[in-house]
Amino acid sequence: MNLKLPALSRRDFLAKSTLGAGLVLGAPSILRAKEAGAPADDIRVGFIGCGKQHEVLFNAMVNIPGIRYVAACDIMKARVGRTFSTIKSRFDTNINRYLDAEEMLEKEELDAVFVATPDFWHAPHTIMALEAGCDVYCEKMMSNTLEGARSIVAAMDRTGKLCQIGHQRRSNPRYRYTLDQLIQKEKICGQIVNINGQWNRALSSSQDIVSKPSILPDAETLRKAGFNLGADHELSLEELRHRFLNWRFYTALSGGPISDLGAHQIDIFNWYLGCQPTSLMASGGRSYFKDREHFDNVMCIFDYDTPQGNVRAFYQVLTTTSSGGGYYESFMGADGTINISEREAYTKIYKESGADSAKWDNLVSRGLLKKEAAGKAAGGADAIASYESAPPDEYALPGGLSKAPHQPHIENFLDTIRGNAKLTCDARHALESEAPIYWVNHAANTRETIHFTDEHLHT
Amino acid sequence: MASKDKYSNDLGLTLGMLTLRIWLGCRALLTGIEKYAGTNSSDKDVLIDGVPNSYGLTDTVTGKVYSLSNYHGVPVPLYEKFSNEPLIPTWGLNLYDSILGPALIILGLGVLLGIAQRISLFVMGLVYTSLTFGLILINQSSGVAWLGVHIILVVMALALAKYNRFAVLKKW
Repeated sequence: MNLKLPALSRRDFLAKSTLGAGLVLGAPSILRAKEAGAPADDIRVGFIGCGKQHEVLFNAMVNIPGIRYVAACDIMKARVGRTFSTIKSRFDTNINRYLDAEEMLEKEELDAVFVATPDFWHAPHTIMALEAGCDVYCEKMMSNTLEGARSIVAAMDRTGKLCQIGHQRRSNPRYRYTLDQLIQKEKICGQIVNINGQWNRALSSSQDIVSKPSILPDAETLRKAGFNLGADHELSLEELRHRFLNWRFYTALSGGPISDLGAHQIDIFNWYLGCQPTSLMASGGRSYFKDREHFDNVMCIFDYDTPQGNVRAFYQVLTTTSSGGGYYESFMGADGTINISEREAYTKIYKESGADSAKWDNLVSRGLLKKEAAGKAAGGADAIASYESAPPDEYALPGGLSKAPHQPHIENFLDTIRGNAKLTCDARHALESEAPIYWVNHAANTRETIHFTDEHLHT
Repeated sequence: MASKDKYSNDLGLTLGMLTLRIWLGCRALLTGIEKYAGTNSSDKDVLIDGVPNSYGLTDTVTGKVYSLSNYHGVPVPLYEKFSNEPLIPTWGLNLYDSILGPALIILGLGVLLGIAQRISLFVMGLVYTSLTFGLILINQSSGVAWLGVHIILVVMALALAKYNRFAVLKKW
């Protein structure tokens, strides 16, 4: 481990310096000073958490210029080593490696920190980094608890630093274009009355994660890192390691599938409608993975009051079955439906037969939509004419995203640090969207409808 | 009468040989060239109302290109299967992978232009036989049958070699 301590850190300098006013006046130039050889506008980046999600973020960063990789931290030594090797081989840079986030933040001069730890560590790590003077990109969910998420917003306000939450669809050109141009400006859906979203994931993608015991942290490290939270007995090393690798299965450590998978998509419901839901019903069960603490399948219905009228939004997450179209969010209106997904392959747009054809043709001729196919009746001898609706014509977005899905969101974060943009999902806006999601498991447990009040949803 | 028949037969066989040469030559030449083919994709901004959109929506345009860097003598899926075959040594597979494309191009040109017709056809037959050898090992019967048709055409061309015309080098 490279644990060298800089003689005088930037923050130490500001906090402890007894130098004269002349030097204080010169502080802005010192604050901007970079290591010799680094381009002046490079952003010095550190990572807290070097697991799978870190890899997703890093792979989305590698083509972004102007990043200087400085340090990485994880309680698992092998993961930090892998991150070191990856950055070394790709950028020929030796980053400093840490097992403790606090130590990394104290010793390193970082402009930005990426937090990709288990959900129950998001708030502590994010707040720690904000208070250390760093701008933070934190993975969603903001926390495993609503209180934790609120504490991030408070820390962001208190420190005045930037805090981007990893709802990456908010920066995705396809999502932004669909909302701005197709839904709000051209109103191709007409009145949206229903939203239908899902993430159907196969059993093969929902199995326990396993790893070689020899590279996993020891019991003391895992206890210190809180992986025994919520346990009703003294956990063995094996149990602790299971929790470390599979923290998403435990109620004290995460929000479960509705939070892991559903949060991305329910965020889109709230963002696109521009409001929070008024009520929530939910149901869930441990139907297949009977020994897991979280539900393996959850269904929920949100009600919204929008200026257009009432909207009902159904969402389901399955960890047992992948059929049924994968993952998407479908906005269904009187004139058309937009099935949008982070995957281009799952994205489809449909025109109702009664919608104004001239208007849709005009959108195609202007390049706002692509027409894919005319509606085709299913046919068959069992079709009863009086039951059938005319089939909708099929359209597509005029273009796609030629980058990794997370890249635009990270670019937005870095551009905002440079003062060239505004965060597309700062912690406050993220919490406005996430707050209803924290209540889904509760609603499913109690089987009671929740009528949201400010107490439930305030940020 | 007899001489008129003989003339007609000779012309038919000459044209038959020429047809076989063109077919076999083009088949080998283009197969060799295709081993240098790849795709080149580029992203361009989607135009809305005639101007590039401000969201960053892009359209990927994919085109076919040829370059030395695209070269794959043995297609990757087949290469992986062959590499697991105990009767195909790794060094042999690598050598074969390196020379197959150029060999097909040279043989295709040789047959098409009529350069050492019999030798060119015979070597082409050997190449198709070697491909058949690999496909037998990985149990691709349809591919074996397909190559068998090629061998029949090569044998027919060799049988008609005495009617060969329009050749650059008639010897051999």
